[in-house]
Amino acid sequence: MKSILTSIRRTPYQSTAAFLVLFLNLFLTISIVFSLSFLYGLLGYVETRPQVTVYFQTQVSPTDIGKIRDDLINSQKTISVKYISQEDAFKTYQQLNKDNPLLLEMVSANIFPASLEINAKKPEFLPEIAAFLKKQPGIDEVVFQKTIIDRLLTLTGVIKKSALAMCLLLIITTVFILLTITHFKIALRREEIELWRLLGASGNYIKMPFIKEGLFFGFTAATTAFLVFLAILLYLNPFISSYLRGSGNLVISISSYQLAVWPLNGAFLAAIYGLTGTFGMLLSVIATVIASQKYIK
Amino acid sequence: MIQFDNVAKQFPLGNAALANLTFTIPDNDFVFLVGPSGAGKTTILKLILRELIPNSGTIKVDDFVLTDKRFRRVEKLREKIGVVFQDFKILPDKNIWENVALGMQIINAPANAIKIAVKEALRLVNLTGKEAFFPVQLSAGELQRAAIARAICGNRHIILADEPTGNLDPNTTWEIMKIFRKFEGKKTIIIATHNTDIVNSLNKRVLTIKNGKLVKDTQKGKYEL
Repeated sequence: MKSILTSIRRTPYQSTAAFLVLFLNLFLTISIVFSLSFLYGLLGYVETRPQVTVYFQTQVSPTDIGKIRDDLINSQKTISVKYISQEDAFKTYQQLNKDNPLLLEMVSANIFPASLEINAKKPEFLPEIAAFLKKQPGIDEVVFQKTIIDRLLTLTGVIKKSALAMCLLLIITTVFILLTITHFKIALRREEIELWRLLGASGNYIKMPFIKEGLFFGFTAATTAFLVFLAILLYLNPFISSYLRGSGNLVISISSYQLAVWPLNGAFLAAIYGLTGTFGMLLSVIATVIASQKYIK
Repeated sequence: MIQFDNVAKQFPLGNAALANLTFTIPDNDFVFLVGPSGAGKTTILKLILRELIPNSGTIKVDDFVLTDKRFRRVEKLREKIGVVFQDFKILPDKNIWENVALGMQIINAPANAIKIAVKEALRLVNLTGKEAFFPVQLSAGELQRAAIARAICGNRHIILADEPTGNLDPNTTWEIMKIFRKFEGKKTIIIATHNTDIVNSLNKRVLTIKNGKLVKDTQKGKYEL
């Protein structure tokens, strides 16, 4: 630790440059990873909402609706089909408007249409299900969210590709900048390195201080980037929470493991910090190893 | 033991630094390398350290054959050799204790062994009490003594000194030579020098190099070019 601090003291500008470039890279990486996780969580949430809702005319009997429901279940294209009776719809209305008695006085159960809430196994089945429903007698309206999901899927795909390209560019830029900075540092210590060599130091012994310094910068830059990002996130938390009110937890699946993205929680933040720290240290170690291999012969 | 057998060294531009050099320096010998500037004295020291590789001939240091193409134990070789330079090469941001300990730290010697060895080395060069001083606080003579302490620290049994008194006044020069003489018969000491007084006064073995050739090898020799 002492030798790292001495090296930083000796080359303050190079050290600051190394720290800042790593900080910038890691901060952007955290932002990208968080945004992607959030978007995937949102996509997952939207996919779990009823994707097709069919409203029936008020005169259609529950038996007829039951027959349609059975046909849908037997089609093997749905995950779930939920029947909402006129009474259930009225109860939901009452619940939503419990603070406004005027609105409650004016309505009764028989003006609400019964409906089916359908979740498809795949988004591709949505048009088929909607077409099937439209052919049935007594249908008032078929609403399905294919457009929203398609847009979200497209958006996520575009952001994912852009983020990957951006990350790649950031990694290459950072590695080259760190490589140049390490080269400067090696050049400034050339006489000392020469002395070490003459006294019998091995190649690894000479390279190790630069690699340790790289690890130190990777760790501190990752920690600082994470803390700054966390501060921003906590500041924005009330706004995001009010925007997402009622949407419940946003969850992403990593292999078979489910990780909650929103509301903010310790496990997700720890995962982000661990990922950033590892990435930061790996990046700076790779750059310093390349530089020391190249410039310390 | 150091053995040079028909060693020749040519630099890439074609200028010959050494030609067919043959000599043997037994263990614990005290040898002066003398000759005019550019004669090849420093080249010989660099060959012993394997900083340079000869174009032909054989160099042996103890059990190491430095001219063997498969030789990969440069670090192990240098662990046996202490080097003293004309410009001291004392690291300015380390104190004297740290500078002297450097030679042992780089070979990952245990901390306790370093502590004992540094203390003893500083005692031998009369720098006890100046462990915490930084180079800027010491005189040129003291810096060279610190460099000698670094060279002897950690059982290095060959000391190579390249013009160790070149930057020092006559009194300090003699102080430094007294320190070297403390190791006479205990370590192999090879000093490349231009200092006629020292060579003539000490009556040690003298290897005279001229134009890359060994022109004289005399026990109890004098500085004669």
